[in-house]
Amino acid sequence: MAKLEERQALPEEDLRDFFREMLLIRRFEEKVEERFRAGELPGFLHVAIGQEAVAVGVCRALEERDVMASTHRAHGHTLARGTPPNALMAELYGKVEGCSRGYGGSMHLYDVERGNLGANAVVGGGLPGIVGAALAFKLRGEDRVALAFFGDGATNIGTFHESLNLAQLWGVPAVFVCEDNHWAESTPASQHLPIRDLEQRAVAYGMESTKVDGQDVEAVYGATAQALEHARSGRGPFFLLCETYRLVGHYVGDPQVYRPKDELARLRETEDPIDKLRERLGLSDEEVEEVDREVTGIVETSVEFAKNGTDPEPGDALKNVYA
Amino acid sequence: MATEIKLPRLGQGMESGTIVRWLKSEGEPVEKGEPLYELDTDKVTQEVEADASGVLLRIAVEEGEVEVGRTIALIGQEGESVPDEAPAPAPEEPAKPEAKRAAPAAQTLQQTVARSDGRGGGRIKASPLARRIARERGVELSSLQGTGPEGRIVAEDVERAAAAPAPAAAVPAPPFEAEVVPLTSLRRTVARRMTEAWQAPAFQISTSADMTRALAIRARLVERGDTPKPTISDLLTKVSAAALMRHREVNALYEGDAVRLLASADIGMAVATERGLLVPVIRGCERLTIPEIAAARADLVERARSGKLQQADLEGGSFTISNLGMYGVEQFVAVLNPPQAAILAVGAVQETPVARDGAVEIRPLMTMTLTCDHRSVDGATAADFLRTLKTFLEEPGLAL
Amino acid sequence: MPELSYREAVRDALATAMRRDDEVFVMGEDIAEMGGSMGVTQGMLDEFGPERVRNTPISEMALVGAGIGAAMQGMRPVVEVMYEDFLTLACEQIVNQAAKHRYMSGGQVKVPLTVRTQGGAGWSPGAQHAQQLEAWFVHVPGLKVVFASTPADVRGLLYTSIYDDNPVVFFEHRTLYGIKEEVPDELEPIELGKARVHREGEDVTVVATGRLVHEALRAAEEAEGEGVSVEVVDPRTLQPLDEETLVASVKKTNRCVVAHEAVTRMGFGAEVAAVLQHQAFDWLDAPIERVGARFTPLPFAPVMEEWVVPHAADVLEAIRRTVGRNGH
Repeated sequence: MAKLEERQALPEEDLRDFFREMLLIRRFEEKVEERFRAGELPGFLHVAIGQEAVAVGVCRALEERDVMASTHRAHGHTLARGTPPNALMAELYGKVEGCSRGYGGSMHLYDVERGNLGANAVVGGGLPGIVGAALAFKLRGEDRVALAFFGDGATNIGTFHESLNLAQLWGVPAVFVCEDNHWAESTPASQHLPIRDLEQRAVAYGMESTKVDGQDVEAVYGATAQALEHARSGRGPFFLLCETYRLVGHYVGDPQVYRPKDELARLRETEDPIDKLRERLGLSDEEVEEVDREVTGIVETSVEFAKNGTDPEPGDALKNVYA
Repeated sequence: MATEIKLPRLGQGMESGTIVRWLKSEGEPVEKGEPLYELDTDKVTQEVEADASGVLLRIAVEEGEVEVGRTIALIGQEGESVPDEAPAPAPEEPAKPEAKRAAPAAQTLQQTVARSDGRGGGRIKASPLARRIARERGVELSSLQGTGPEGRIVAEDVERAAAAPAPAAAVPAPPFEAEVVPLTSLRRTVARRMTEAWQAPAFQISTSADMTRALAIRARLVERGDTPKPTISDLLTKVSAAALMRHREVNALYEGDAVRLLASADIGMAVATERGLLVPVIRGCERLTIPEIAAARADLVERARSGKLQQADLEGGSFTISNLGMYGVEQFVAVLNPPQAAILAVGAVQETPVARDGAVEIRPLMTMTLTCDHRSVDGATAADFLRTLKTFLEEPGLAL
Repeated sequence: MPELSYREAVRDALATAMRRDDEVFVMGEDIAEMGGSMGVTQGMLDEFGPERVRNTPISEMALVGAGIGAAMQGMRPVVEVMYEDFLTLACEQIVNQAAKHRYMSGGQVKVPLTVRTQGGAGWSPGAQHAQQLEAWFVHVPGLKVVFASTPADVRGLLYTSIYDDNPVVFFEHRTLYGIKEEVPDELEPIELGKARVHREGEDVTVVATGRLVHEALRAAEEAEGEGVSVEVVDPRTLQPLDEETLVASVKKTNRCVVAHEAVTRMGFGAEVAAVLQHQAFDWLDAPIERVGARFTPLPFAPVMEEWVVPHAADVLEAIRRTVGRNGH
């Protein structure tokens, strides 16, 4: 549990940019929900409304040369990492122009050029690979870090433990970002975690860690920057625990019968990271509306782009099986 | 509204076809372009594709011969009601739709298999290889005693039977009753067309050609290792094409009020198959080399024997060659293949004493008989063509 | 030509690649000082050091997964999974990750990972240390699967697998490590997807893998004495499969026995039989016979184990059935 030194506050300009990015992700995911309900989007979709500050804070702290692996709740990570909304939306529509060429879908978003090694639909599935990428950087003496996103639910699966153990044992430059949104699908922490403090998971492997308010993008950014610095400087991997809130169901269409009815309303009131940042920046209604108009336009354009995209040939299903 | 599936016309001259079996059952979804049923036409058995998508609501004709244009099935939306009277009534069991599902199709297939093996009842146990050899050598499996595991007829049994001096075939127990073989659709077509042909005012002329040089050319091609090995027929096809190009009146179709002279020598070859006579066509023979003709011929013969010819393979010939030389026939007269103007019947090449310059020499001669439709071709024209053909065979250099 | 044992041949392939190329490294449990549970990597720590001959915790998921991550960065890791029974622990990473990253990304990445493993009965370890699970992995598109049966083959095939741009699950057989064979002076890579005809024959083709190649060769000798000429073919690569060679052989002999040590039911032989009946139907003069282990976990007691897994006598019996006559 490293004590992070106080960092200087980010320039307001950067924070305004974070605000725009977070709102873009929010509007994008709302559009995804809408289009899914309208029956336009195939497949299984998970949105991360409420978790935008983690996506933006972490991804903005990464260097271009770093790599990351995401989860089934990946739209925010992918956009924050720089994948154009058009390419992402086209993927959700199963088009050739999609970031995974229509082979992946919402749960398998890749953008290797931008260091995104893929969203993973198996909980914890991407963690060992991040250890391996970090090992490659270490063996080659490259100044790069590999970062994995995963949720609180993933801390119960074997890959998490094996990966943290191996990463710490070998001292590879990896950062493990736990998005603790308090729900493993429909199961609350009380039913799947025997401990309260997830940082103890890292302690068990002798790994440095810190906990941050995942609804405060500035704090997430700062903590990530330090975690990356730790890994990059050869001091081994780092465990970053972000406490955040999923302000929606597990999947699009989830009736959330398992969730107390008032919880959502309360959290939307008190824990919306976008509202928090707006307050922090003291943005006026007009300022917000202007940004909103811009990002909403981008999202609308992405839907148009995706709908006009190219359907793959059915027979293309046989491509890309082998290199 | 359901789409009526009608028996399509799949080739010139097709008036009816025999539905062998359905590849979909009632109630099954069907995509446009998917194979829907198997149809035995004049010449080939083929799969016919559905021309609408939806659900196969009703099979109106389970099997049997149907005239072109008759409604044989309905394709529509799931649950769509089908008027009972709309399609042509099925010949049997009209009132029991459930009895018409998949099962009868399987039964039909079984009967077909049984019939084609020439037996009434039980299945003969034979290995796939034994069946293939039996098919190729014309050995009747039912006449054999299997020596393989569990009494299975294996390849060796068939080979032994094929090698034996055909005792089984030579001394069959005389049947107690005459065997009545119903005409297959192919046999019926042959019968109809040959009867038609017989009405044409035909005449025949014959000549012999000295095949010394032709044989030498063939030997050279074989020596060169060409595969498939070129045959005398291939060479004859090539040479005939050259002669036809010089005598276009013979490369012609009689069309009632006109004679159509064709620009390309599309030569049909009469091929004997298990199912009967087929005449697949090699197109543009005047432009093909002998090895190319050999390749085309080998492909067509193979497909003719395995029942895989397409309707298109059988259509549009301009001239036909029928060669019975391999059966040792010296000479014969072929029946016209209307509307073609002529057909050439070719016998075996035989060592024959020939008077030459006052001496007797032995020469390999081949006798050819040209049958012509007098409505298209006159005797002199036919004779001119035959002379050119003879010259080309004796001096192939002139044609090749 | 030098003679190498199967074990030395594996080591030679690894060391040759590692000498040539810094991107190749090996990791696995007990592979460093101990030299691997089968002694394959003995001496390699001294030559290549602990960074490239990496001992790992007993963590098959992370071990294979770390291999995947390094491979996606362009390295060519060789991961040793001590027993193929333990592949079950790494199945998620092999099946969902290694096999599918390229596909799910629409062709953006390659996973040039080799997972070496070994197994096989004949030494009474019981049910959890001797299974033959190769068929499982043939069922997963995106993986290549190799099963080498001789020193020359294991050397050439492993080298090729390391340099293949796809994940390869590479099976070795426990009881073969000691066998010897002459191998080329210089390592000659063997193309994946090419079968090896060990012995030509006219009457029956035996398609065998792993230990059963050697059992089949023994059975063929005996059959020869009975006047039956046997061809023995080892596909060597199960995916991709050299269908052409298998089909050509069966078209020649008209009879076929498929033989492997794995359980017969749903074994690799079932796939071979399906391919052959489809592509050589009209050439078959007898049903294709299958030889494999009986449908039971591997028992401990040597007499039971011996009875469960197939041997030369079982192959010979199957050969006789295919050429059988009434009264046999």
